Amino acid sequence: MGGFKESLAAAVRQMAFRTSLDSLKKKGVQQVSVLGIDRIVALVEAAVHRSLRSHLVGIEREAVADATKEEFLRLLRSNEDLQRQKSEIERLKERAEEEIDGLRRELATRHQELQLRLEQGAQAVADRYEGENAAIAQRVGEVLRSLAGAGAPTVADAEARVVELVLDVVSGERRSAEEARAALRDREVENLQRRIRKLNDALGQTEQRLQEVAAMKSVDDGISSIYREVQGLRPGEVQAQKKKELMAEIFKANLELQRKLEG
Amino acid sequence: MTESKQKDHGVLYIGMDLGTSRTSISASNGVRETIFSVVGYPKDVVSQKLLKKDVLYGKEAIDKRLSLKVYKPLEKGVLKYTGDAAMDGEAKANLKAAQDLIGEAIRHARPRKDELVYCVIGAPAEASVKNRAAIVEAARAHVDSVMLCSEPFSVAYGLDWLEDVLVIDIGAGTTDLCRMHGTMPEETDQVMYDVAGDAVDAELARLVAESCPGAQFTVQMIKEIKERYGFVGDSAERAVVELPVAGKPTTFDLTQQIGKACSILIDPILKGITKLVATFDPEFQQKLKNRVLLAGGGSMVKGLDSAVEKAMRERLGGGKVVRIEEPIYGGANGALKIAHDMPADYWEQLK
Ligand SMILES: Nc1ncnc2c1ncn2[C@@H]1O[C@H](COP(=O)(O)OP(=O)(O)OP(=O)(O)O)[C@@H](O)[C@H]1O
Repeated sequence: MGGFKESLAAAVRQMAFRTSLDSLKKKGVQQVSVLGIDRIVALVEAAVHRSLRSHLVGIEREAVADATKEEFLRLLRSNEDLQRQKSEIERLKERAEEEIDGLRRELATRHQELQLRLEQGAQAVADRYEGENAAIAQRVGEVLRSLAGAGAPTVADAEARVVELVLDVVSGERRSAEEARAALRDREVENLQRRIRKLNDALGQTEQRLQEVAAMKSVDDGISSIYREVQGLRPGEVQAQKKKELMAEIFKANLELQRKLEG
Repeated sequence: MTESKQKDHGVLYIGMDLGTSRTSISASNGVRETIFSVVGYPKDVVSQKLLKKDVLYGKEAIDKRLSLKVYKPLEKGVLKYTGDAAMDGEAKANLKAAQDLIGEAIRHARPRKDELVYCVIGAPAEASVKNRAAIVEAARAHVDSVMLCSEPFSVAYGLDWLEDVLVIDIGAGTTDLCRMHGTMPEETDQVMYDVAGDAVDAELARLVAESCPGAQFTVQMIKEIKERYGFVGDSAERAVVELPVAGKPTTFDLTQQIGKACSILIDPILKGITKLVATFDPEFQQKLKNRVLLAGGGSMVKGLDSAVEKAMRERLGGGKVVRIEEPIYGGANGALKIAHDMPADYWEQLK
């Protein structure tokens, strides 16, 4: 039963709290009495024995003391098991939470990117149009000026003709260029939107998982039986002999059943 | 004794009553639970996602039955799977459902992982050897050691009535009479009638419809009224209930109808008693007549014990009837007691 003392010592250590001398001083404490763990363990043991001695004698006392120690160790162990299972659940939960966090951040970045791209697209189109318009005006001016120099029929006639000509050409060019650009941009935007959708789905799933983990009741440790060992009929039981026979009969029938199952 | 005695884990005994409509457990850690013997599996992936479970049991399975494939693996008191080589898919599914149900019942007992679990299952007396083997197979997956006994035996053992007992189990679908003179009754020791709880409900519904024109009710309402007021013989209290007539709650006194409906139980019971007594060893007939045990949910009909006694006086020249105190847990409690009294080596040998 050496393990008992160690476990008791560990339990005492666990239950103790730490404080510094300074903080004690601040509270006005000048002197402290020190009680070693070994001493505490011995005291607990002595106390258990003393209280048992007043009720029981000899072997019986030993047996009860042993049983108590065993029970104590068993409780400690099962408590440890429970702690392990709990921290496993907690770990799962933390992981799911981290995942959700990551997904949320990525989703926000993608949204920003998409917004930027859409704005950039609009600005680029405006800039381009402006540049193109200026170039066209310039070219029209040049044509007109050369026409005027050559002393052509009427300026108005010439202007109308040239503008018509140029605009016709330019607008055709512009349309096809615009279509190509639009197609390219739509693809990018579409890709971004698709990724956002996917991220959203992933987020939903992870959140559901988190909910499931949270819903997992803290693992049921079960309820202890009132029996520590196999019982069997008590000697003084009413109709003990008859019951013994009946138990043997049930056992025999079940043994046969098992043989059939295996054979 | 065997080595298990030295180990520091405890021993959890579980007594189980595997019934057609209900499965009850009673365990040595103080847990007692009962669940409807119904198991449901999601019909498809969508249902599964929605329900977030692979298997549902008892009331939950009944409530969500529309999205489930539902099994009642013990219907007619017998596990449907018979262990034949040429087992069809449906039979396999029933065995799986029975296994899952037994597992669920054991989980309800909340055993600790570090304890030995020894279980005694009271199975319907009429279960065939093959069916019993299937029950054991199903249980072995969940416990350290398991034994089967007949359900009427476990009921009687729970009261220390060890031999020459006539157990009458009044369930929902059937009333089963069984003569016990050992642990395993034989075919000739049993009689079964399909006049039981459900038949009383049907009769009461008929009488109410006949005598209360315009009253609206469902079978469930009738059943609840019966469970609240059910009696035979002299009534202790008037059964005054409200039923809607054209939507308006209306008061009816159903005392007479309830007494009449419940009394349909008496005749088959008497027929069964007469048959089982008459074919018993003449030397022990008197003893058998004096040890009639009423069990099952239907035995909660007030005055039934005295009514059966009275009828036995008239038709058999006497008899004594006792109603068990806890009809729902009678079988499970008895099985728990058997588990407790079973010697350690027997358990060990069946591991
Ligand atoms: N207080 C009560 N008074 C009268 N009848 C009752 C009462 N409580 C339950 N019952 C009836 O008992 C029946 C159910 O009994 P039980 O739970 O023993 O059934 P079961 O053994 O599973 O059924 P079966 O034997 O048919 O398989 C039902 O008909 C129910 O209405």
